[in-house]
Amino acid sequence: MTAVRRDSSRDAEAPPASQADSRAPVGDPEPRDWVSALGGTGPEQSTALRELHALMIRAAGHQVWRMRAALPDPSPGAVDVIVNQAADEAMTALLGKLHTFQGRSRFTTWAFKFAILQAATEVRRLQWQHREVELRDVELRPSPAHEGPELSAEGIDLAGAVARAMSRVLTPYQRRIAVALLVDGVPIDVLAERLGSSRGALYKTLHEVRTRLRAELVATGYLPVSQAGPARLPQASPISPTDHEVSPTSSAGTR
Amino acid sequence: MSQTPGPRPDVLTDPAVESLLQDTTPWLSCEECFERMDTYAEAAVHDPQHLDEAMTAHLRGCSACDEEAQSLIDLLRAS
Repeated sequence: MTAVRRDSSRDAEAPPASQADSRAPVGDPEPRDWVSALGGTGPEQSTALRELHALMIRAAGHQVWRMRAALPDPSPGAVDVIVNQAADEAMTALLGKLHTFQGRSRFTTWAFKFAILQAATEVRRLQWQHREVELRDVELRPSPAHEGPELSAEGIDLAGAVARAMSRVLTPYQRRIAVALLVDGVPIDVLAERLGSSRGALYKTLHEVRTRLRAELVATGYLPVSQAGPARLPQASPISPTDHEVSPTSSAGTR
Repeated sequence: MSQTPGPRPDVLTDPAVESLLQDTTPWLSCEECFERMDTYAEAAVHDPQHLDEAMTAHLRGCSACDEEAQSLIDLLRAS
């Protein structure tokens, strides 16, 4: 990103007039050919790169602001660093995929999503950077905290059925991933980073977990058949290779 | 800043049960969700009733993608 100077985070609040097209209503035609400008040479490319970086700053700033409560250090200086770093990395990712832009949305919308993804991932990483992520294969029990005796009995009954189903139909790896993501609340990209995996791979595991649990709860009468949903697994994979690599209560450490 | 988390209780809360039983069909991967996110967000801004069944199911089941999609929609609405 040598051709692009880092902008101040103030750009996120007040973009220059040259970015006015990014604020045009979504349905309006694209006012410039971003792909040609960015893929070209000379001053036109330099201008396009500068304006694209300002767009990235704006979207990254928007995302970091939304998640500021999760930041260990929400001071303006720290936020400025996060926003600029996310914008730089998002811009690199976008330029690497520039040839894939098909014009189905406005280019600016397409660009924003790269910065939002990068900024959100970075905030979650910072939020968990000093926290240990433990992969627990535990036997869960229903929470006693429910409202009212009837709801309490119903909720405890269902939670008990889910806990039993987790023991019965999930692999140890699936249980550990499900507990980390849905019980312990570890963000999916944080867990992916600690395991050397990807968000997509973990989500696939989670989808398999949910499909198996729902099928089991239908079989045991806790869910009506209509709620089972089609058992459309993305790919049959009874046991992930990672099953063999994770100990019963292994720690994914901290970063 | 260092945080020392306390021992994690081995309990299934209602939100955890709900999330474990979430119906995430039809299947859509996080990668496909990211690919569609720009068109999905623009459609959502144009028409709040817009329905993309696979995206909706994915966003129900993936809080990270959901946060990012909602953020993009908010950013477009603010534009």
